[in-house]
Amino acid sequence: MSTVSLEGLTKVYANGVEAVSGLDLRVADGEFVVIVGPSGCGKTTALRMVAGLEEITSGTLRFGDRVVNDVSPRERDVAMVFQNYALYPHLSVHQNIGFSLANRKVPREERDVRVRAAAAVLGLSDMLDRKPRQLSGGQRQRVAMGRAIVREPSVFLMDEPLSNLDAKLRVQMRSEVLRVHRKIGVAALYVTHDQTEAMTMGDRVAVLRAGVLQQVSGPRELYECPANLFVATFIGSPSMNLYEAALAAPSASATSSASPSASPSAATTTAAATGGDQGGAAIVLGSQRLSLPAAVLKRNPALAAYVGRAVVVGIRPEHLSDPAHAGASPEPGTGLTVEVDYVEVLGSEQLVHFTIDARRVRDESDQPGAAGDGDQGEIVAASVSEGVARIDPRSVIPARGRAVFGVDVERLHFFDPDTGDAIAPTGRAAPG
Amino acid sequence: MRAPAARVARPGRSRQSAWIHRRDRRGLWFVVPFLVAFLLFMIAPLGYAIYTSLYTSRIIGGTVFSGGANYTTTLQSGAFWSGTERVIIYAAIQIPVMLAIAFFFATIFDLGVAKWGRLFRTIFFIPFAVPAVVGAVMWAFLLEPQFGPFVHAANGIGLHNVNFFSSNLMLPSIIVIVIWEWTGYNMVILYTALKSVPRDVVEAAILDDTPLWKIIVRVKLPLVRPAIVLLVFLNLIGALQLFTEPLILQYFQTSAISVNYTPVLYIYNTGIAGAQYNLAAAAAVVLGLVIVVISVGSLAFRRSRGGVS
Amino acid sequence: MSPATTVESHSQNAQAPGESPSRRGWWLRGAGGGGRRGRGRRRAADDGVPEDVIPIEMYGLKRGTTTVLTVVCALFALFTLAPIAWIVINSTKTQANIFETFGFWFARPFALFHNFALLGQNVDGYGTYIQWLGNTALYAVLGGGGATALAAFAGYGFARFSFRGSRSLFYLVIAALLVPISAITLPLYLTYAKVHLINSIWGMILPSMVSPVGVYLMRVFVEVSVPRELIDAARLDGASELRIFFRLALPLMVPGLMTVLLLSVVGVWNNYFLPLIIFSQNRLYPLTVGIGLWAQRAQNSGNAELFPMVVIGGLVTIIPLVALFLVLQRYWRSGLLLGSIAN
Repeated sequence: MSTVSLEGLTKVYANGVEAVSGLDLRVADGEFVVIVGPSGCGKTTALRMVAGLEEITSGTLRFGDRVVNDVSPRERDVAMVFQNYALYPHLSVHQNIGFSLANRKVPREERDVRVRAAAAVLGLSDMLDRKPRQLSGGQRQRVAMGRAIVREPSVFLMDEPLSNLDAKLRVQMRSEVLRVHRKIGVAALYVTHDQTEAMTMGDRVAVLRAGVLQQVSGPRELYECPANLFVATFIGSPSMNLYEAALAAPSASATSSASPSASPSAATTTAAATGGDQGGAAIVLGSQRLSLPAAVLKRNPALAAYVGRAVVVGIRPEHLSDPAHAGASPEPGTGLTVEVDYVEVLGSEQLVHFTIDARRVRDESDQPGAAGDGDQGEIVAASVSEGVARIDPRSVIPARGRAVFGVDVERLHFFDPDTGDAIAPTGRAAPG
Repeated sequence: MRAPAARVARPGRSRQSAWIHRRDRRGLWFVVPFLVAFLLFMIAPLGYAIYTSLYTSRIIGGTVFSGGANYTTTLQSGAFWSGTERVIIYAAIQIPVMLAIAFFFATIFDLGVAKWGRLFRTIFFIPFAVPAVVGAVMWAFLLEPQFGPFVHAANGIGLHNVNFFSSNLMLPSIIVIVIWEWTGYNMVILYTALKSVPRDVVEAAILDDTPLWKIIVRVKLPLVRPAIVLLVFLNLIGALQLFTEPLILQYFQTSAISVNYTPVLYIYNTGIAGAQYNLAAAAAVVLGLVIVVISVGSLAFRRSRGGVS
Repeated sequence: MSPATTVESHSQNAQAPGESPSRRGWWLRGAGGGGRRGRGRRRAADDGVPEDVIPIEMYGLKRGTTTVLTVVCALFALFTLAPIAWIVINSTKTQANIFETFGFWFARPFALFHNFALLGQNVDGYGTYIQWLGNTALYAVLGGGGATALAAFAGYGFARFSFRGSRSLFYLVIAALLVPISAITLPLYLTYAKVHLINSIWGMILPSMVSPVGVYLMRVFVEVSVPRELIDAARLDGASELRIFFRLALPLMVPGLMTVLLLSVVGVWNNYFLPLIIFSQNRLYPLTVGIGLWAQRAQNSGNAELFPMVVIGGLVTIIPLVALFLVLQRYWRSGLLLGSIAN
């Protein structure tokens, strides 16, 4: 019975800094939950509170039914893998792994059996006599895991265990960690700043920011239905394009959204831009307009309340396409004219960096690209208004100049510009 | 561009590295002032000591080359060896006791299990600022057999006729004095070494349900071994050259300290008071060799014992 | 990995102040009541200074252990302070009282000022304390300062340049620690006799400037605190090596310099053996030799003042160094730390 319940867990340091505020999280037996967030968000502190290495200021921590706030770390039966591995440098791999067993006075033969079993699971069997300094980073990491699993703990904690490994190794080790977890089958709490890691590894992912839980759900839901601006920009790489926009009633006079270089039939464009689809709305994005089908508004009644008001609209890079590639032009009301800044050719796709004349919304935690460890509050200078689109690799996009992209308007995200919360229907009606 | 590690010059170096070599040679200039002083005031006198030891001066006949004669005299001198034996015994007792005390307190402060740690650490370090002469004088007064307060205290707890300067108690008294002088210094070094043990290793040990004594002995102690080795080394070199404390105590109790009480006292008395420079030089060289052998020997011994707990 | 320093308390939440977090929406599990933004009880750290130590509660100690250990520390502190207390108290006594009254408490007459004045006199021709004090200060400042300067240059040279033989030279310097001072001092004296450096202040100062320990410490410090890239960048900017050293490296080396300076000054101040051998005129003695001389003569001479002079002389000898320590405390803490890490 190894569920872990964090109920309103709060940590305030002696100097008044509140590292974790009211964290509510439940980890079921056998579940792999990832806590993710930028550095300094309190995720490590939260983990250490579960381990017993930090005192809990307020809130309740339960293992199963048992309240463990005041139980010493030794007695909690948790195992932890540290970011820097924390191996005993002067002991061999065998002794490192078996250290806890020796403390519990497990007889030598049994200890040896268990150590070897753990080593076998992790592929360390021929390294048992080496010292940590003779091992590579990945091997040390596995020893750290071996040390944790040999105790057969009820809870398995991991504090950014892969962040000191190089990128390729990190990807390899992700599956290692999951494989080991499946084998031991206990509740696991994993902390990382890398959203890719979180998404690929977690049964559920909890996003933390400045000590406050933003959202916790499965990876898909997190990606498709982010609860607020922070989660929307934090999850997904390249991050979601966010712009200040407005929702207008469909009958407002239309400005053509098609660029002259495309070959639309002018009449149909104009008609569509006026929201010919009855009940829809127009999204005013800078000088351009997109039309929002009525079906979307029907699915998301909360959105309807925003017609005539400012919103923040979010477009995932993969929801932009290049219709010209197929020789077509964008559907009426879904074309977006952009100024191309530059194109990153990745082979499997192209990342087109562009600007439009709408104002970009940036959350301070915006991470440009992969597992960067962006500092809070750092301003990314010149590229503030830059958007990114994921385009088919065979498209021909001019390195500079204009292009017209098609927007998948069914999959747009909307956020309240004041609170940052997602404008979403209550209940499970995720758009797409 | 990083400067390469020390390279041995090879004939036909490429032009590319010539600039780096020229630049690196400028580094030599930084080292030269120290080297000059080092050669003049450490190496040259050493050489001169060896040179002098090979000669003998007589009032009649002047200075003649005598080869190993002085060495023979020294090596056969019971006085020299009894002094040497004494300092070895002294070192064998004083150093472990002092290091144990120093480690004990360093651990206490590192763990934070006593109050006012910083205050105590500062107090313990104060004797380092006291010259050995003054320290010896202070303790001489404290231990003075007739008037010293410690004798009164001993009487108070029922021990009568305690003479700290008797031939039995003289060496232990010196040990107490030296421990007083040097424990703070050793403790500070051990404390800083303990503080550099990574915190997460200790936390891992806590999560592994390790009792405190085991954390200290099996986790922390092995990791500060380099500092301990260094301290043994330094203390050994100092202990074998014991001089000031016995000299000062001799002023207070002449009979307890002989002219050859320690090897350096022997050298001093022979060379300066007795003006037998050559013999003293030979003794100094012999002492130097003894010290080198013992120090290096202790290093090697420590290394070979390995660190496996 | 110290959590205390990585958390910032910006009020960046998209939530309006006063709003309960549970309003964040139905996306959160267990939303009922959510977490309260409560102020937990503060943990007062020891000494009022928060240190990055593992809380002792985690060690599972018996109750009262802290008290017992604090008492043990206090006992050793008493042991450490006893001679100091003695010398302070007894510097106020006359010779008779030193021997006849209880060592750890005062007695009439209160002779502190009288004793103090004696330090200015040349008693029995053995020398004047004030002069010795001046000598010691001179030797310590010049010798210690010189040692620090030489060590700084040499440490920098060894650390940031790799000229031929630099490694072997460095090992040679360290190996010099093995050489007993007693083996060097006597021949030094004989050499001085030949070059007329006996009874010269330089005979004391110059050898004091040789500090292999100082070179070692400075080298370690430079390796840790002066990045190669900085020097390379300055070279690219066309700065000369000396300029780089004085303008860039030296300011970064300050804590190490303070440590070496402190250790060197203390070493010279407290040096006994070297000046004992090379000085025969008591006007050149440093305090150590002078007090040693007094201690020796006090036993046999009829002068009733020598013992108190030894006592108060000892006291005044200690005061400057202890003061120096307390002032420069924070430097030698960090310096020694690095020195031992490198080991």
